Amino acid sequence: MSGYILLLPFAVLTLGIFLALTLPKRGVFASMPRLGLLLSVFPLSFFILILYASSTIPSGKALTFSIPWIPSLGLYFSLYLDGLSTLFALLVTGIGTLVTIYTGYYFDDSHSSEPKNERRFFAYILLFMTAMLGLVLAGDLITLFLFWEGTSISSFLLISYKYKDETARKGAFKSLFITGGGGIALLAGFIFLINLSGNADFKTILASGDILRASPLYPVFFTLIAFGAFTKSAQFPAHIWLPEAMSAPTPASAFLHSATMVKAGIYLLARLNPAIGNTDLWFWTLSIFGLTTMLVGAYLGFKQNDLKPLLAYSTISQLGVLVALIGQDTEIAFKALVIGILAHALYKSALFMSAGIIDHETGTRDIRKLGGLRKQMPILFGIMGVAALSMAGLPPLFGFLAKETLLASASHPSLPPIVDNLFPLTTVIAGALLLAQAGLLVWGVFLGKPADEKHPPHGHDPKPGFWIAPAIPAVLSLAVGLLPEPAFLANFLADAAKAAYGDKVKVSLALWTGINVPLILSVVAILLGSLIFWQRERIRAWMMNFLPNVTANALFNGTVSGLDSLSRTATRLQGGQLRTYLRVMILSAVALVVLFSGLPGGVFIQNFEWNVEGLNGLRLFSLVLLTAAALVSVIAKRDLHAVIALGITGLGVAVWMALEPSPDVALVQIVVDILATVILILSLSLIPRRLRDRANELLHSRRDMARDAMIAVLAGAVVAGLTFTALNTRPRESVVSPFYAENAKPLTGAKDIVGAVVVDFRGTDTLIEILVFALAGLGIYTLLHYATRKRGERTYEPPDKTLKAHTPLGIQNLPTSPMLHTLAYIMLPLAFMIGIIHMMYGHDQPGDGFTAGVIISLAIAQWYMLFGYYETRRKLFWLNRNNMIVAGLTLALLNAFGGFVFGKGFFAPVDYGKMLGLSLPTGFALTNSFIFEVSIALTVMGAATLILDNLGHPREEDLEAEADLAAIEEAQ
Amino acid sequence: MNLLTSLAIGVLFAAGIYQILRRNLIRAAIGLVLLSNAVNLFLFNVGAYNGTEAAYTTALSQISDPLPQALVLTAIVISAGGFAFVLSLLYVISTRYKTSDSDEVKGLKN
Repeated sequence: MSGYILLLPFAVLTLGIFLALTLPKRGVFASMPRLGLLLSVFPLSFFILILYASSTIPSGKALTFSIPWIPSLGLYFSLYLDGLSTLFALLVTGIGTLVTIYTGYYFDDSHSSEPKNERRFFAYILLFMTAMLGLVLAGDLITLFLFWEGTSISSFLLISYKYKDETARKGAFKSLFITGGGGIALLAGFIFLINLSGNADFKTILASGDILRASPLYPVFFTLIAFGAFTKSAQFPAHIWLPEAMSAPTPASAFLHSATMVKAGIYLLARLNPAIGNTDLWFWTLSIFGLTTMLVGAYLGFKQNDLKPLLAYSTISQLGVLVALIGQDTEIAFKALVIGILAHALYKSALFMSAGIIDHETGTRDIRKLGGLRKQMPILFGIMGVAALSMAGLPPLFGFLAKETLLASASHPSLPPIVDNLFPLTTVIAGALLLAQAGLLVWGVFLGKPADEKHPPHGHDPKPGFWIAPAIPAVLSLAVGLLPEPAFLANFLADAAKAAYGDKVKVSLALWTGINVPLILSVVAILLGSLIFWQRERIRAWMMNFLPNVTANALFNGTVSGLDSLSRTATRLQGGQLRTYLRVMILSAVALVVLFSGLPGGVFIQNFEWNVEGLNGLRLFSLVLLTAAALVSVIAKRDLHAVIALGITGLGVAVWMALEPSPDVALVQIVVDILATVILILSLSLIPRRLRDRANELLHSRRDMARDAMIAVLAGAVVAGLTFTALNTRPRESVVSPFYAENAKPLTGAKDIVGAVVVDFRGTDTLIEILVFALAGLGIYTLLHYATRKRGERTYEPPDKTLKAHTPLGIQNLPTSPMLHTLAYIMLPLAFMIGIIHMMYGHDQPGDGFTAGVIISLAIAQWYMLFGYYETRRKLFWLNRNNMIVAGLTLALLNAFGGFVFGKGFFAPVDYGKMLGLSLPTGFALTNSFIFEVSIALTVMGAATLILDNLGHPREEDLEAEADLAAIEEAQ
Repeated sequence: MNLLTSLAIGVLFAAGIYQILRRNLIRAAIGLVLLSNAVNLFLFNVGAYNGTEAAYTTALSQISDPLPQALVLTAIVISAGGFAFVLSLLYVISTRYKTSDSDEVKGLKN
């Protein structure tokens, strides 16, 4: 049988989630029960599928499946089906089927006047089912971890399902905090396992038990993994999340918090037992935590009045039992483990679903208000009675067998002598308490009288579809006990136990094995339990007063409030002064570089060489130009002068680049520098000069300036030192560049290597780059239109004045010369021509689509400066920046995919001109590189125009702002 | 030559740092451009070859290293887009807080 079959559930469950959310809300699947029935087909079919798949694999073998995920990191997505996973997978899908049907009836709103939409719940339940199935079918640790976290998250969603309720939100947070914290520890532990055994898959891990146990790191990763498993399986003191998780709707409690998810930790411990189990540390840790949890759960459960927390605490107790059993590592313990898992899943899911029905029909879950319902709800009485007897461990139910094997294991002679009395003793006490709890359930709901006799609870048996779901597991609990030795079940459980134990386990399901120690202990437990039940009023009253405030919640609350106050302290450190943060960041960066670069250690001096090779007049000129202009931009008093100096610095940089020689970069640097200067000047006119001058004057505390100058000089010196060292020690051989140089012509047909790198070799980079540029434009649009709006205003929508003619007005509304207007008329077509030439011959000459786009944008910017916003918008009405961006990006993408269709792949070069047999001018080829250049130019033009448009837009509220400002200044 | 190059980059960087530490936000924006110029120059200069000819396939002598050039080309474009965005942020700040002084922008604190 192929392992691919294991993938099927994941694909189909995804379809189920999709269906749950999208099926029409009218018509055939309008009613929730019908939708539940439809969706239950999915888990049911996997139940059958897994049953079939497991029957084809020979005992002790596993069905595996693996596909590479990130093979370079050794990560695979793998699945694994053996006896143990089969047991859990069948529980997940089997109870999942029942819960899905049950959910439909639980949320049935066809009779209510106000139909609620509860389909989201189906989606969450199926989501959880997918994650849980993945967890138990995972074939390696990483896949397991992935699904493990998936169950935590879907459990969070289910607990917080009624998110308007504060207790639901708190419970959800608590469960996510605890299980999520455990998940992190688990991942760390897994990484140890993977490193030590060399591989993540279970075959390797399970085979390297000797290496793992002998490792000196064993206590470390054992603690981490145990922490993860204990938090998930609600072991003391991390059990506190489970009772609060009861705020989830009952179908989720029945499924996640009793039958499946809380057993994930048990599954993990059982799964890893052959690899890391069977050591002293393993035995003591698991026994101590398991037995404590068993006692604490049984004790606290007896205190409860609400049905659901009562059941939750008995679940905690049972989980403790299972953990302690795994710790023992004997054949009989694993027999007790598999029987215990199955028996508990059956009776507990039946009890939870019944509790949900009682809540649904009578409106309360409080046993003090319930009572005497046996006549009104006879069917439910039967179901819950059978399940409760199984929980109490009475014959002839499955639960009796589970308790017998547990007691046999607890009194096994292989136990260390120090605890050989303690084990049976605690087990008997916990068993007695559980029996009393089961009595409390049945008595409190169906037999006894309600506390308030004037208002007895009302209710009746629901529709069969609703009670059939809890009836099936209850009947099974009875059938397994009554049927004479069902051999297939025994073999199936033996297979599961064998996978966990690592050796053969004999499982018999006979109830009567003669008078022996377990039977005597069992009788003692039943007697003691009956005694407790008889004296229940007195004992419960005493319990309520005994240490009512001591809970493990204090630990959790302490941790959470500790984290809170830590973050408050951290917040207090934040002064809110941007410049202080910057100083700290810069100085720390400088300190890090100085510490780790080896600069002070003499690297600088060793490599110091003074030569002026390559220095000529032009280079000296560019160096002096850019440093002098940079310093002027610092000293300049007026902002405008500083901006102009900045522009000159950029030109100095461009000259330097041209001398490298590197004409392409120099060209882009020039046009971008000019564009940046224009944008800067536009925004200078947006921010009132008064504000800027005030900010400039405020700086003049001499100490402040001196400190900042020192920081700047220090940073500059470090950068200069680094650059010098880098220049002198850099490798003189490149691996990449010769490849580009050799392949530019043959592969892309370009003479210009830099152009070939930008447009062809690293085309995807450039695609993302123009996307970023376009996003910057859109971001500016969003900021200026939405962020500057006033309170109460919907959006900033300036009155449309673009239609009528305006007097051409330049920056700050000053009239401009007609001569300059004529110049602008000439410049725009000229810019277009230059741009087109750049695009056509970009492959063989300096310049490319980007340069073309910016050059055209500069001509447009000139219009904005000379004619003003409204007049420019009117004259250049064809300039639709949004369409340009969309067209440019779409064309770029289509063009990249054109490489797929006509060439060898994404962005592969294609010569459409040659393909179509066109005769084109010499030196021009209609390639997809050319189309890419055109789309780059379009996008850049669109984005640049968008930026100019928004920053050059006259603000209607400017006058108002000025008035505000005057008022503020007066007040000061 | 190397020494002069590194000194120039150092001066550019120091000027940029000083500017971004000033209270006037426009000056800080200017500092940002100076810094990105300095970084671009650094990247540009640490290529493997000092060529005597531009990086064309028709070149006869040693070409300049095309790889850092292509990277710097992209960097220039991206920083221009980012710079324009910073400027519009400054405009938003000046309308919201009625100031151009970075010390008075403390909306995150409370």
